[in-house]
Amino acid sequence: MNEFVERLVDLRWPDHVRPSYDVVIIGGGGHGLATAYYLATRHGITNVAVIEKGYIGSGNSGRNTTIIRANYGIPEAVRFYQHSLEMYGQLEQETGRDLMHATKGLLWIAHSEAGVRQERARAEINTAFGSRTEYVDVKTISEICPQLDMTGQGVWPIYGASYHPAGASARHDRVVWAYAEGAMRLGVHVHQRTTVTGFLRDGDRVTGVQTTAGPIGGGLVVSAVGGHVTTLASMVGLRLPIRTHQLQAFVTNRYAQAFGPIVASSGLGVYVSQTAKGEMLVGAEVDRAPAYAYDSGHSFLRSCAFRSIALLPFLRDLRVLRQWTGVCDMSTDYSPVMGFTGVPNLLVTTGWGTWGFKAIPAGGEQMAALIATGRTPPLIAPFALERFANDRTMADRGSAGTH
Amino acid sequence: MRALERMLFTRVVATPAAIDRAVWPTGALVLRIAQDEVLAAGTVDLGAVPDQHAIVEPETAFCGAWVDHKSGIQFLEHACDWELPAERPAFAQGAVAGIPVKVWFEAERILFLVPVPFVIDFAERWS
Amino acid sequence: MANGSLLTHLLRGEKYPAGGGCLCLAGDCPHCLATVDGIAYVRTCQTPYHEGVSVEPHPESGRLPPPVSLGDRAPVPARSIHCDVVVIGQGPAGRGAADEARDAGQHVVTLESRLGQDAIGIYPGPLVVARTNSGMWHLYPREGIVVATGASEIQPVVPGNDLRGLVTARAAAELTSTGIDLGRVIAVGTPPADVVATTVAGELVRFEPRSGDPRRVGAVVMRDAKGQEQRHECDTVSLGLGLTPRDALLRMARGTNIRGVGDVLLAPDLPPCPSTGVVCPCAGVTVDDLRSVHGRGFRELDLVKRATLAGTGPCQGAVCVPHIRSFLGAQGSDPPASFTARPVTRQLTLGEAAAGAHHAATPRTALDSQHRALGAQMERLGGWWRPWHYGDVDAEYTAVRNGASICDVSTLGKMQISGPDAVALLEHLYPVPIASLAPGRSRYVLLLDERGYVVDDGMVSRDSETRFTLTFTSGGARFAEAWVRDWAESLDCDVRIMNQTMSLGAINVTGPRARDLLALAGVDSPPAFLHHAVATVAGVSARIFRLSFTGEMSFELHHAADDSTDLWQRLLDLGAGLGVRPHGLEALMKLRLEMGHIIVGQDTDFDSTPRRLNHEWAVRLDKPSFVGRAAVVRTNKVSLDRQLCMLEAEGEAPAEGATIWAGDDYAGYVTSSGWSPALGRSVMLGWLRVQPGINAGSAGLPTMVTIDGRPAHRVTTRSFDPEGLRARA
Repeated sequence: MNEFVERLVDLRWPDHVRPSYDVVIIGGGGHGLATAYYLATRHGITNVAVIEKGYIGSGNSGRNTTIIRANYGIPEAVRFYQHSLEMYGQLEQETGRDLMHATKGLLWIAHSEAGVRQERARAEINTAFGSRTEYVDVKTISEICPQLDMTGQGVWPIYGASYHPAGASARHDRVVWAYAEGAMRLGVHVHQRTTVTGFLRDGDRVTGVQTTAGPIGGGLVVSAVGGHVTTLASMVGLRLPIRTHQLQAFVTNRYAQAFGPIVASSGLGVYVSQTAKGEMLVGAEVDRAPAYAYDSGHSFLRSCAFRSIALLPFLRDLRVLRQWTGVCDMSTDYSPVMGFTGVPNLLVTTGWGTWGFKAIPAGGEQMAALIATGRTPPLIAPFALERFANDRTMADRGSAGTH
Repeated sequence: MRALERMLFTRVVATPAAIDRAVWPTGALVLRIAQDEVLAAGTVDLGAVPDQHAIVEPETAFCGAWVDHKSGIQFLEHACDWELPAERPAFAQGAVAGIPVKVWFEAERILFLVPVPFVIDFAERWS
Repeated sequence: MANGSLLTHLLRGEKYPAGGGCLCLAGDCPHCLATVDGIAYVRTCQTPYHEGVSVEPHPESGRLPPPVSLGDRAPVPARSIHCDVVVIGQGPAGRGAADEARDAGQHVVTLESRLGQDAIGIYPGPLVVARTNSGMWHLYPREGIVVATGASEIQPVVPGNDLRGLVTARAAAELTSTGIDLGRVIAVGTPPADVVATTVAGELVRFEPRSGDPRRVGAVVMRDAKGQEQRHECDTVSLGLGLTPRDALLRMARGTNIRGVGDVLLAPDLPPCPSTGVVCPCAGVTVDDLRSVHGRGFRELDLVKRATLAGTGPCQGAVCVPHIRSFLGAQGSDPPASFTARPVTRQLTLGEAAAGAHHAATPRTALDSQHRALGAQMERLGGWWRPWHYGDVDAEYTAVRNGASICDVSTLGKMQISGPDAVALLEHLYPVPIASLAPGRSRYVLLLDERGYVVDDGMVSRDSETRFTLTFTSGGARFAEAWVRDWAESLDCDVRIMNQTMSLGAINVTGPRARDLLALAGVDSPPAFLHHAVATVAGVSARIFRLSFTGEMSFELHHAADDSTDLWQRLLDLGAGLGVRPHGLEALMKLRLEMGHIIVGQDTDFDSTPRRLNHEWAVRLDKPSFVGRAAVVRTNKVSLDRQLCMLEAEGEAPAEGATIWAGDDYAGYVTSSGWSPALGRSVMLGWLRVQPGINAGSAGLPTMVTIDGRPAHRVTTRSFDPEGLRARA
């Protein structure tokens, strides 16, 4: 029997669209569905619609590299992602679903004095805010990951690393489905293949959305859209400090489990892990030029394959199976943007860049709390959109770079 | 590893029109590396460029090697993604084996010009 | 293939590369995968046989091959070919298209997977990437791409479809033509060409194993028109179940000039809705699995794929997609289109994918070999190889503070700007007055972006009314040229721009006896502080810039790069009596830290305004306009939230990156840290947050903090040479 066949989740699709809902969430990815889930389960708000232009999880939620970590660079981010990481640890129990959650440990490798400085700083700030990360020397590194070429092909020698033992992964689709199922069970409507084409307005106020399935009223409208959030926001004349960049990845065929940790290198700009299925998963940094296109690039495949071999020589003879691309909503300070927008009744959860997957539980929980209470919870207050106008940006070197 | 030797040029930045009208030393290699910029072998008199604001500076930071046409092309086909010029003589520049290189194609031979900071890496990749 | 494929070679010897399944001989199915010469997941039907080839079957029963790399391999060569037309597939349709293009005088490159030339993807460009047995080809067609990849044959989905002895109709014909005896052949569906076979009618029910060889087919069971099962004994079953176009490449290449010819344009045949058996042999997905997930709401093709992983294995859906489409169609909707087509359509190793790639080359200054000869530990810093130290950091430091020392600063960004609009351009680029800068003078400058964030710093030196020399940091130089050119173009400035970063060497002569060293080098009256001049130094023509980063009297000597080694060696020789020795970056870090000088990139963050960096003195808001001014004015109206501060502590230097605490509150972190021999304590730069409840007299910044569990304090004026007298000496 194939253990990867989803045998538990039961998705109950609505058979009609209501004329209006208390809350309309645009985007049926992890963040949108988790927000709906926590609205229903924590706040009893179930007259909620999630509107998805493709199928649930078809955007970045189904295209990311499924890494869960909390080793960020500023206290506010460490606290938030640590909370999310801990929620992930409980999520299988909470939802009763097998999410293939596995704690693997994450090595972030430094190849220079500057890299060492950065990884030491990461270990310091993480530890100070409750997320264990330690700086480790080359001997420990080769014990954690014996496959590493410590000389980096003689070109990128390994100086040290930060090690984040709680680094984990989970099956991205299953996270999406567990939230969808839980929300749907309590009556949330998830409408797939429905595209938002505009907003319903009453003066400044947003009163719903215009969709390919007709107008849908909403007491509150929440954008949980990924790479296309800027085009959506422009429909209400809202300019967001977001640029959309491609993030690409590839996997190999399936091989026997032999590679334990998640390994990342800022110097080489790659990260590597082995999936539960056995595929070696290789990703890189976002492409520099902004783009909305999903085209996969050859230069990415070529250089990413090349750089990952420099780190892990065994990869050379493994066969590439498939490459793909996501389009990431990168904020200008590399931190998320959650909450009010200045447009009455319109909220956003965006700026998830390359770190959205790991934030799904906490992002959904906190957005739900904000929606239910009308007040911004302290954990996400630093990530309000108004920070850009108030010169309270949250530059985070711990999230810039890889995943 | 191939030997690349230091070559002496004059680098001129001027208006495109002035570059068009400039009088270059006869027989010298003159590479138009941009609309407003020329790399000329040897010495160029400041007065030769009709632009009072021209910047004319000796350029000593290129190493070069002439190779026979066939082996040059063979190397380039494996070392760069861009299309090689068909006409002769011709000038091209771009990444060759991942290094920024200027290439001058003559009928019988090809000149590779490599910035000194990359000469060691280029020579290693050109073995 | 000249020697025939590896698969036909194996079959001729009655060997199977894998367990079983219906062989297609066309690279579509996963049934002939094996580990060949150390590489797993190789399709033996597409691999030419060669003497001494090693073939290992994959582990049995769903276990996976190990992820290993075996021994040395020559790097895979890559070739770029620019042509008019690429024709993918050399069946009759592809050959016709290629001939037609050639007749029209076009340069045509053809690919044929049977010759070991697999197109793995069509990328934007357009770029066709092919894996061949002689390396990777990167094909850039100017005119267009013709896809003639034909169609694959539909595989059977019934119980027993994993037995040996099952072949597609085309495979049956091909094996027969190569002289392999298939024994008694039963043909289901379209019979194979030129093969003696018994064609049976009806609906395919199952394959049954042979008695005595449970892995091999012994009979095929059909259901006839009356609903009766009919059993047909055989050695081989030929299956002609219909065709599915191999159109992944065609669908992948959106927006490029691409067309299909031949069978790739066929409408896909739809097999009957499968009722039982394995649909996806790669992932082991059964028809029951499809029913199970469909019944629980996974109704779209993509959701079915994700819920079962059908179609995510080595054949990428070639086997399962027709059957899943048929299954979903039978549930009441139109059969869906196939999955999104993505590279790679045929597999290749990472080593092959990497062909033609290179490490980013780190540039070296003209003095690289001098540093190495002096025993320097070289580091990548600011994008260059630079000497970190020469073995004795303390002595290097002391030479600068007490005597004279030299440092290779050739990596600095260096640019000349000339033209009638040079002043106008620089007034716009920099937040300090430029017009008032007299020829012969230099000024420290920040470079701001439109958001008012500091992106670089450097010097502006005026050479004449219309000519300037700019310097940038080593790390910022590459960005700087694009920045300056973009603004020059946007503002339509009449200027000439020459980036001389790599053309010029630069050596900094620094220390209280720097002037003495210059005198020994023949320079009697070097420029005064923040002045510059042209001079001959030790026989080398140079421009001397008097400034200071170390805190000591410093002369930056810019010179033609090919004079670097002469100048370097002569300065060392001439200065022997002064104890001149070179210093590396580690000593320089300490020297500048004592002065509180920031390093953009290390001490700054990517949202550092001049105010946050305590560099408001370097921004003149009385200038009416410059890049970033509006943002600076706007953010100045908001209270400050954090600031880069100087800190001091007794005892050894805390690690860079250390967290700073104000009581129990997080206050910030250390960006630079070092032991100061001059002060006998540690000096740091670090970010401090404005803390609630701290009086406005200190701008809300804490004074006493804890770093590494030890007390430290913020200093508002540097302790070492606060007046900067040494630099101006």
